[in-house]
Amino acid sequence: MNAIEIRNLTKNFGDKQALKGLNMTVPVGSIYGFIGENGSGKSTTEKIICGLIHPNGGEVKLFGRDYKDADVRAKVGVLIETPACFPNLTVWNNLRLQAENLSLKNPDDEIRKILKLVRMEGAAGNKFKNCSLGMKQRIGIAMALLGNPDLLVLDEPINGLDADGMRIMREVLVDLTKKGATVVVSSHILGELEKIATHYGIVRGGKMIKEMTSEELERSCRTFVAIKARDLTKTKTVLLGKYGRVEEDEKGYLRVYEAKKPEEVVIYLYENGITVNEIKTDKIGLEEYYIDLMGEKGGR
Amino acid sequence: MEKKFEKFTFEKRLKSMLKVDLRRMFTSPFFYILVGIAFAVPVLILVMTTMMEGSVSVNPQTGLPSEPMEGFDFVWQILGSVSGSQSDMQAGAMTMDLVSMCNINMMFFAIAVLVCVFIGDDFKSGFAKNLFTVRSKKTDYVISKTAVCFLGSAVVFIAFFIGAVIGGGIAQLPFTMDGFNGANLVFCMLSKILLTPVFVSIFTLMSVCAKQKTWLSICLSLGTGMLLFMMIPSLTPLNATPVHAFGCLVGSVAFAVGLGAISNIVLNKTSLV
Repeated sequence: MNAIEIRNLTKNFGDKQALKGLNMTVPVGSIYGFIGENGSGKSTTEKIICGLIHPNGGEVKLFGRDYKDADVRAKVGVLIETPACFPNLTVWNNLRLQAENLSLKNPDDEIRKILKLVRMEGAAGNKFKNCSLGMKQRIGIAMALLGNPDLLVLDEPINGLDADGMRIMREVLVDLTKKGATVVVSSHILGELEKIATHYGIVRGGKMIKEMTSEELERSCRTFVAIKARDLTKTKTVLLGKYGRVEEDEKGYLRVYEAKKPEEVVIYLYENGITVNEIKTDKIGLEEYYIDLMGEKGGR
Repeated sequence: MEKKFEKFTFEKRLKSMLKVDLRRMFTSPFFYILVGIAFAVPVLILVMTTMMEGSVSVNPQTGLPSEPMEGFDFVWQILGSVSGSQSDMQAGAMTMDLVSMCNINMMFFAIAVLVCVFIGDDFKSGFAKNLFTVRSKKTDYVISKTAVCFLGSAVVFIAFFIGAVIGGGIAQLPFTMDGFNGANLVFCMLSKILLTPVFVSIFTLMSVCAKQKTWLSICLSLGTGMLLFMMIPSLTPLNATPVHAFGCLVGSVAFAVGLGAISNIVLNKTSLV
């Protein structure tokens, strides 16, 4: 069964069409990395899933039921844009309000547990407005996690988090999915997303352009031979004589995408009078895959 | 196989929403500031007007003396007027004298601010995202807001009443009841309190329309409240009877149901963030 199933979702804001028939399938128990440029429709889709804005057309189902079903929606946790807390209330009181909102049976115990999970026990008495950006983000995550949601929708949850915060976040999300929950995370920090996501959805211009599992991504990510030589410009010119795509990366390596084996590149360069200082094989990551895909779809 | 979910019934949703709103309202410093103002206003009005009663000021431009300043004849005048009396006619005719303007009915404007800030904060803080994500039906939200703001308003009116009694004592004004009795006074206060849902439901509607724009909801609420403000003295006179209280209750229920339904539609049809 799918946790989220969206078909032909459309949403207009005045003349602007934010979603143009978006389709999305999120399997139960997955961590779904929702990727796209600014203004591509990620937040709009997430807001529709949470019932915060109304679509103009299309169908949204959560766990096989209509997204407006009150019983399903009671088990959705959300962190969209900024943490939703009253600035003049303490962290504890904000969480207490959310616990009441969710009709939790043992609110105090649940809040203590969640605060411990996000390592914020010491800040319970602080006013929300006095917390740092990273602390606020952790509180926002704690809010979303209260009541053991079956579906967690997180929009840019790692913004402002430090390295420890990101690690905690990863652990919490993976742990949650082990218990059967489903997580939809949108983020621009693709390196972090790649560490936890089991499924991906790439959206552009209000349309889903690619949906795949992490295994499919792994297979789609091309391998390349990376080399270092003394004269990179000359080496590149020589390599372009045989290989169609040669690029210099930010670390000073020349990437040869069409080479089958590293040895053939070394021999070819040796035959052309170039000595290779360093050579390795590698794969492009999610970030580069995404940039490549955006380039292709954008017609670059 | 379809996943099983615990029933999140209307009763459960309403109960949880009421808990959220009651906790917010009665832990908010703003509410207690407003209650403090409601208590202090009658004390100040009664003491100041008694002190200044009969004083005459001279217009510096014309050199002519003004009318002698009129004060309150008795304490209960600050709560309203006796139906059919001179001051009642004046209030009905919206004369701008101190006695007909500076009374408990001013608190309806304070309630407008209370309701608008209370609801506006849900949207401004973003907490509305948490509220509406878990409740696809908005009826419980509207009912809870109306009920809790009604309770808050009742506390504001009671604070004003206590302030009037204490202020009257300090100003040494008579507590005489001319043309009404203690029971009428109780029904007068009860009528005013029972009339608040009419205003609260208007202010709630304005607030859900304006969402995070609290200033706009306050302006709209004061504007629309002003239209009904003139009716208050005749609906809640000092010589009020159970009929007045019942009338106010019926009117309030009708307004709360009607405007609540409109608020519900507004929340269901518009974006909540």
